[in-house]
Amino acid sequence: MASVKLENITKFYESKIPAVDKASFDINDKEFVVLVGPSGCGKSTTLRMIAGLEEISSGELYIDDRLVNDVSPKDRDIAMVFQNYALYPHMTVYENMAFGLKLRKVDKNEIKKRVMNAAEILGIVDYLERKPKALSGGQRQRVAVGRAIVRQPKVFLFDEPLSNLDAKLRVQMRTEISKLHKRLQATIVYVTHDQTEAMTMGDRIVVMKDGLIQQIDSPLNLYNFPNNKFVAGFIGSPAMNFIEGKITDSGRLQFVTKNGSVTMNLGESFSFLKKAAGKEVTLGIRPEDILCDQTESESLQLLRCNLDVVEPMGNEIFVYTAIEDQPIIARLVTQDLPTVGMPYNLYLRLNKLHFFEKETGNAIRG
Amino acid sequence: MSERLKKILVILTATIIAFMSLMPFVWMVFASFMKSGEANVYPPKLIPDEFVLTHYITLFTRLNLTGYLINSLVISVGVTFISLIINSMSGYAFAKMAFRGKKHIFNSLLSAMVIPGQVTMLPVFLMLKNMGLINTYWAILIPGMASIFGIFLIKQYALSIPDSLIEAARMDGGTEIQIYWKVILPLCKPILVTLGIFTFMGTWNDFLWPLIVMTDSSMYTLPVALANLMGEHTQDTELMMAGSVITIIPVIVVFLALQKYYIKGIMLGSVKG
Repeated sequence: MASVKLENITKFYESKIPAVDKASFDINDKEFVVLVGPSGCGKSTTLRMIAGLEEISSGELYIDDRLVNDVSPKDRDIAMVFQNYALYPHMTVYENMAFGLKLRKVDKNEIKKRVMNAAEILGIVDYLERKPKALSGGQRQRVAVGRAIVRQPKVFLFDEPLSNLDAKLRVQMRTEISKLHKRLQATIVYVTHDQTEAMTMGDRIVVMKDGLIQQIDSPLNLYNFPNNKFVAGFIGSPAMNFIEGKITDSGRLQFVTKNGSVTMNLGESFSFLKKAAGKEVTLGIRPEDILCDQTESESLQLLRCNLDVVEPMGNEIFVYTAIEDQPIIARLVTQDLPTVGMPYNLYLRLNKLHFFEKETGNAIRG
Repeated sequence: MSERLKKILVILTATIIAFMSLMPFVWMVFASFMKSGEANVYPPKLIPDEFVLTHYITLFTRLNLTGYLINSLVISVGVTFISLIINSMSGYAFAKMAFRGKKHIFNSLLSAMVIPGQVTMLPVFLMLKNMGLINTYWAILIPGMASIFGIFLIKQYALSIPDSLIEAARMDGGTEIQIYWKVILPLCKPILVTLGIFTFMGTWNDFLWPLIVMTDSSMYTLPVALANLMGEHTQDTELMMAGSVITIIPVIVVFLALQKYYIKGIMLGSVKG
């Protein structure tokens, strides 16, 4: 297994705007790194550059401290699992898995051993003689993973491998890939647009947008300390609520919404916001940090509102409302179903507020 | 009109058309076994009074049909295989590879398709003559090595092969030749068979070009030899029919053996694979 290092990796296609702009990060040995972002953010391009399927316009790529910019894909010792599985339709499952080894002239017995071993890990021993078209989506994806495993590569690349599967299977395969990672002790780079996949699978997550890396951090750090408004809104479901407003400091530090309908007193812990006094900011609060009743232990901010929609989920309730036309979603843990249209009290956890500069979207922190 | 009647009418019409198109062939086969002169009697006969093999024997002994058969086989099989390889390579390249001027080259190839074959016959003949290839197999093999139609057909088919398959093979360690040979060619099988049948039949049945480039009678292909026979043995209908039977047998055999794929190939073109 191995490490991967990207230094100012940039990709230009025909346009002047880079598809990936100066991406730099390290992937440690045995690490599971997830590249995540909306479509067109450059995550797949980055992965394909690591694979060698796309040329690197500028920057340097190292696998195990070896510069591989000009090394062809087959000599990089990496394996890739594609979104549409990319199984060879004219070969059986066994042949599909053995193909890469055959091309590398691996000994026949060794091929058999490795294929059987991978097939056992993935539970596809019974299908080895079948053609891909006789398999279900989940089985095909297992074969695609198996094809990567038998090669025993330094690095595994996954390009949105679960997005063609149905929701239930996706959750199942997600845990299987996580287990596989532990079992194989593999270095994995995984691309997805699904933040849930990113959060649940990754040791570290690289969030990208418009070709730029927004933040690289562990899942919980991304969740709790997003660098900017984009990361804050992208990670977490339902997404973080944003309220536009202003910081005022007239003896007491306060956040006042745009039209002044809500004023929040910010305590000592927000003293770092003094530097932003008088400036327009965006306040962010996650749906689960909005409560429906008061607790003694926390300082809360009361929010009187009318509920637009109430969605009971069983274990929790999503309520939709708005502050000055800015939509707010709260995730309430209660069994009392609120009534739509009636005035309702919500409480924001003051210690869970996030603040972002309005112009740049960057987080304002102490 | 009732559904039943409609069905009967359709089947009846189809039967009549089938009968009309098959009859000449059936008569050809029977006539080839008739005694000399029997085919020209009035009223015409379908079934010979006595089945004789004289004409077949004459063809293979006195008239040296074996030599012509070998010529035809070598040329048709050769053209089919060489052109399949070259057409599939270039079709694949036009479909899946990135190179400078790809679009322009392909467009100029396509526009060259409107030039009728007869127009290029003289220049091609002169070139071959200057190369000293007249009266050799190469005179037919070389012009038949690639066809724009074939390249176009394979390019369209190869476009439907997902890029990720080629990329997967590349990651698996395949060289470009291995990818072409072990991934692309097997996937193109239906269209290769279709094109192969087209090419084989076209070359086998071709008359004009072999007539032009093969002036030495020992190099004649079957259709040319047959036409030549017709000149010499105008009266001998039965002999002509025997020659015709031998000429169409390979085509029928090839077609019947591969028709499963052939139909698949045509269908794939229409509904996109």
